[in-house]
Amino acid sequence: MVKKRRADQPPESHLPLPPATFHILVALADGELHGYAIMKGVAARSEDTVRLGPGTLYGSLKRLLATGLVEESGERADPERGDERRRYYRLTQLGLSVVRAEARRLDAMVRAARRKQLIGVRPT
Amino acid sequence: MSAEAIYRLLLRAYPPDFRAEYEREMVLLFRDQCQESDVRTLGFWAAVICDVARSAPALRAAAWRTRGREITRTIEVIMKLAAMVTVLLGLFGILNAVIEGLAGLKGTTDGTYKLALVLGVCASALLLAAGVAILRPTQRGRQAARLALLASLMIIVAARLLHPWMSVFSQLVGMGVPVTLLIALHWPRRASPLGAA
Repeated sequence: MVKKRRADQPPESHLPLPPATFHILVALADGELHGYAIMKGVAARSEDTVRLGPGTLYGSLKRLLATGLVEESGERADPERGDERRRYYRLTQLGLSVVRAEARRLDAMVRAARRKQLIGVRPT
Repeated sequence: MSAEAIYRLLLRAYPPDFRAEYEREMVLLFRDQCQESDVRTLGFWAAVICDVARSAPALRAAAWRTRGREITRTIEVIMKLAAMVTVLLGLFGILNAVIEGLAGLKGTTDGTYKLALVLGVCASALLLAAGVAILRPTQRGRQAARLALLASLMIIVAARLLHPWMSVFSQLVGMGVPVTLLIALHWPRRASPLGAA
């Protein structure tokens, strides 16, 4: 019931996203991934400034599944990481719209900061 | 004790529902982390404990909020049933007072008895109105129900003082129902909003 109601809402109603959530959605924009691949993707993209532990990652994924931004895409083994079957996650159409809206919002903020010369200039 | 066994112990900090759903995946991810990190370092375990300390309380709080919403829904159903019973009791009270009044017309009745009967009808009508108000799930409906119940209680106490031979059943219904409903109406019926994703 909650999932359906939230899925009907416009993408902007989900903003702003917590940093961990935004990073997970950006990682999933590449395609379906399992938990460890998401964690590695986030760490690599943020140059190790954001390190998601299992609790933070799966806590966020649980909320993202409940709000309909992410869905499970099956369970299978990752040939690179052994025989254990892993759950894969992917973005929904709503999730893609939300991450795009959040990226636009952040971009507008960065452009405003640049106009004020808060970034992009050498500090004196 | 192996690193995985310690991690499994730490996972007990999470709500049971969450563990049932994600424990296997979390242990798998922890195993992957162990393969790529030195588990004997303090930094590794500080990061693990930090992750559990940051995420487990939030998930516990979310689980309590969900449980609270379920309890609230159950209370809503009970309140609806109670409101229907109150409406019926109000109707029964009015009918009972009218029948008693008609029977009293044949014999000799004093003024205080007649006044007590009128008060009984008023109290029952207020009880009926309170039941109808509770059935409307709005803040104004609840406020109106509280006022009607309080007025009904005061009137029935006045009737009891005027007419000390009031039946035990009438006293129980006239005083017990408003007091019970007034207490029940103080229960928080609106669930807290969903936590942000």
